[in-house]
Order: sequence, then structure tokens, then C-alpha cells
Amino acid sequence: MSLTELRKKLDSHEISVKELTKEYMEKIEKKDKILNSFITVCDETEKEAIAAQDIIDKGQSKAMTGIPISIKDNICTEGIRTTCASKMLNDFVPFYNATVTEKLNNEKAVILGKTNMDEFAMGASSCTSYFGRVKNPYNTDCVPGGSSGGAAASVAAGLCAAALGSDTGGSVRQPAAFCGVTGLKPTYGTVSRYGLIAFASSLDQIGVIANSAEDTGYVLNSIYGYDVNDRTTSKKAQGNYLSKIGQNIKGLKIGIPKEFFSDAVSDDVKQSVMSAAEYYKSCGAELVESSMPSLPYAVSAYYLISSAEAASNLSRFDGIKYGYRSSEGDTFNELISNTRREGFGDEVKRRILLGNYALSSGYYDAYYKNASRIRKKIRDEYAQIFEKCDIILTPTAPTTAYKAGYQENDPVKMYLADICTVTVNIAGLPAISTTCGYDSNNMPIGMSLVGKAFDEALIISAADAFEKDFYKKEAVI
Amino acid sequence: MIDKKLTQHLADLSKINFTDEELEKITVQMGDIINLMDKVKEIDSNNPTYTIDAVNYSDLRADEVAESSPNEDILKNSKETKENSFVVPKVV
Repeated sequence: MSLTELRKKLDSHEISVKELTKEYMEKIEKKDKILNSFITVCDETEKEAIAAQDIIDKGQSKAMTGIPISIKDNICTEGIRTTCASKMLNDFVPFYNATVTEKLNNEKAVILGKTNMDEFAMGASSCTSYFGRVKNPYNTDCVPGGSSGGAAASVAAGLCAAALGSDTGGSVRQPAAFCGVTGLKPTYGTVSRYGLIAFASSLDQIGVIANSAEDTGYVLNSIYGYDVNDRTTSKKAQGNYLSKIGQNIKGLKIGIPKEFFSDAVSDDVKQSVMSAAEYYKSCGAELVESSMPSLPYAVSAYYLISSAEAASNLSRFDGIKYGYRSSEGDTFNELISNTRREGFGDEVKRRILLGNYALSSGYYDAYYKNASRIRKKIRDEYAQIFEKCDIILTPTAPTTAYKAGYQENDPVKMYLADICTVTVNIAGLPAISTTCGYDSNNMPIGMSLVGKAFDEALIISAADAFEKDFYKKEAVI
Repeated sequence: MIDKKLTQHLADLSKINFTDEELEKITVQMGDIINLMDKVKEIDSNNPTYTIDAVNYSDLRADEVAESSPNEDILKNSKETKENSFVVPKVV
């Protein structure tokens, strides 16, 4: 059932918010012992459900009133523990809401809980969490992707109607692909980052994971918009993200950049994404061969830029103002250095070190500055492709979900697997990932549609057209 | 080439303590990571860099006086506070 249909059922009193919430809470109780997709399950959902029902009964419901959702645990929720899946913030309870949380609260959405993730959103497997790894609902031996792995798993297993995640280099789209659901990363500046615990501020963007492209647009309609608390939010984001649903695909120009189909991408994935391209062609779309020559440089540029920003953003975690504090350390410096040693996990430490390496004297020009040159080139190359195309089609990840333990301990292998998603963040563009097939082990394969800045409506509509003719296999959990 | 001395320097900059054993391990990992990062050195330095102008900064908000967060809220997540302040080890 889509969120639009759910809205109608709630407003017509066919179902009550209390029943709906109870149903989701029971599923969480039953299934999340296995999946570990939530770090915190809220204990006041019944109260929230009653408040939402009251609004509906008065005929004053808004789009998200009474809709049970999950929120990634790096988005601040007043009075609800927000950990970033780190020991560092194990007992951190924010005294304010992120702007997105505030918007959902204003519409009286029901927040079921906070979802598990890679520590500080640094990872693509959801295995680096201090609270244990998340399991993939299609095969519990496999990773759910990351960093929003808990969000994607919670949607795929039917533990919430939709989820908020965050995407710095693919963290909404890749787990959506691995878990067979739909993930939307909006244009940089569309959704306020106020209250999103910062990883890489020039790349971070809050996104939506849901059961369909239409549902991602439905939620985005409630959370987008200019915010005085985030100067990078743009007034160009205008909403109406479902306005192009049902629009004819005929004449749509779809760019296929050849570098995204290199040997690094598995044959299963390539075939499946190209079949989707053929589907669009059969609907009257035009496939346009295109090229992004700088793609081979993208992963390195992304890791240098994001780690440099992370090194700076994470300097606030010193054990003084909030979060974990070491019991060792007689001087100010010792206390901070021990706190950070004990509070951060290995991957977070590696990124901080890499960031400080890229920014330090003697290395800045060779690394950070060159990464910045590549960033400019990638933005320009996207602009060139969009001169001839309306949207771009790529795989979301080079492979399907892999077994836990396979590559999470090999940082270089993990970083290289981000090749299909990072350029979108580097260029600040919107992209949506939806399922376009399954491999021989029945694991979902994702494809991504990339749009022009602030044209989310078109990629949502194109993904929706594909989904309506696609047979989706259910998760086993 | 990254060695233990450089990793120690980065650890100092990052304010993260490592044991000798941990430092050995992370030096090897950082070596592999930096090898991957070396790819960016292949770009022609005549290419322009990305500038902040590419971000669509919104207009500045009106400069209006608003309430700050209450002190007790700001202090409540700290492990040690005293007289409306955070407590830190003696600095001077």
C-alpha cells in the first residue's frame, strides 16, 4: 500500500493510527531481534498515535499525520537518545530537534525509533556500528549496505512505512539497493541539515528510504525547504515532488555514461541495469551514450574531501560538553586524546587521520587541492551530459549485498565499492535508487537515476514508471 | 610514503592516543589508503579548483535577537559540571 493510499485509509477511518502503530511495533518486537535495524525503539508511540488520531478526527490531518516512520540515529530527536551508532554518543540525548524531526512532529507523524547505521555514517555495510551489525532482510548472512543500513532494512522488513536516512557518498541509495527498496538523495540544499550530526558538511544530505519512488517523493514533500538554521538550504527547492508522476516516458533522453559499466561492476548488475534501459527505450525513451572521463578519480577525491571535512567536524567530540568521557587523563590534552581513543571506532579514526593528512602542511596541495580540482571537473562533466539528456542511468553499486565479514576490514576495497554513488554528492545532484532485478541468489540489484539540480520530480516519475511494471520479490524476514 | 613517525604526527594532530601496536597496524592501513588517494596527483594542476561559489548560499537571515538555549539544557549532556560551567582538568 502506498503512503497516498494509507493517508486515505487513515482519513476515512478505515484504519486507526493506534492499530497501525501497534502493528508496526509488534513487527519490530518480532523481527528486529534478528535484524538489529533499530538502536532505540521509542516508548511513547502509543501517546503519539493518540495525538495523531485526534488531529485526524478533527479533520485537520496533514500528509504525514499518523504515518509510522523511522529516523536514522544521526538525526537529532529531542528527548530521544541520538547515538550516531558510536560509543562516543552512547548516552547523548539532544535537547532540540533537527529541522526534519520538527517538520515531522508538526505534522504528527509517529516516530517509531532510531535506526542503526555505520558509526558516524562512515561505511557502506552498517557493520561499524557500536551496537552491532545490521542484517539484510533478504539474507541475514549478508550486509544491508550503509551507512543507512538500519533505515533500509527497517523498510524492507516492513518495520515502518518509510525512513529518513542521510547520504554523504551513497548512504541512502546503496543500502536501498542492497535491501530491495527505493532510496532518494535530494539535491544538496533541498533538505535542512540542521540537527543532522555532521560528517562532511558540503556533501551531506538527508534523504528518504521507502517502498516506492512515489513514497519517497511523498515524504520529501513534508521535509524539504529553506531553513534559517541552515544557510546552505536553497529557495530553489519548490516541492511538488509527485507532480510528474504518470508523465509519459516517450521522448525522455536518458544518458548512459559508459565509465559506470566498467569491469569493476559485476555482470549481473550490468545486465540488469541495461535491461532497465531497454525497458525505458521500449516506452519511447531515447538512450544517449555519454561519458564521465573523471570517474576513475572520483573515489579518491571523495574520500579526501569527505575525510578532511570529517576531521574538522568530529573535533567537537572531546568528552567535555557531551558524550563519552575517558576516566584516564590528568591534563586537558590527555583527557581529550584518551576520550577519542576509547570513544571512536577504527574506521572513524582512519578517516580523521586521512582528513588531517590531506589538510596538513606539505600535503594540502597534492591531496586536498587536487581533489578539489577533480570535484570541479566532475561537476562540469555532469553539466555537459545534461546538455544532451534529461536524466542519467547508472548502477547503484558494483555488486549486490555481500556476506558480512567479506570486505569490511579492508578499507581500500570498501572505498572502491562507492564508485557508482559518490559523484552525485560531489556534484550536489539528486538521485534515486530503485530495484531493477535480482541476482542468482535472489539478492536485489539497484539502479540509479540521476537528475538535474532541483528536478527530483522527474527522476521520481521515471523510477515510478519502471516500478509499476516491475515484479518485486519480498524479503524473507 | 607513510611511516610510523608520520602516523604519530597525524594522531597528535587528531588528538587520538594509540598504543604502539595499534600505531603499527594503522600505519599499514593508512599506507594502503594513501596509495589509493595518490590517484588525485594525476590531475593536471592547471585545472581550476572547486570554489565555494558553487554552493547556492541563501540570503542572510534578518539580524533579529532570539532566545539562546537555556544553560541547564546545554549542560545536561556533560559528564561533569559545576556552577553553570563545564569542568575540565587543570590547564594552567
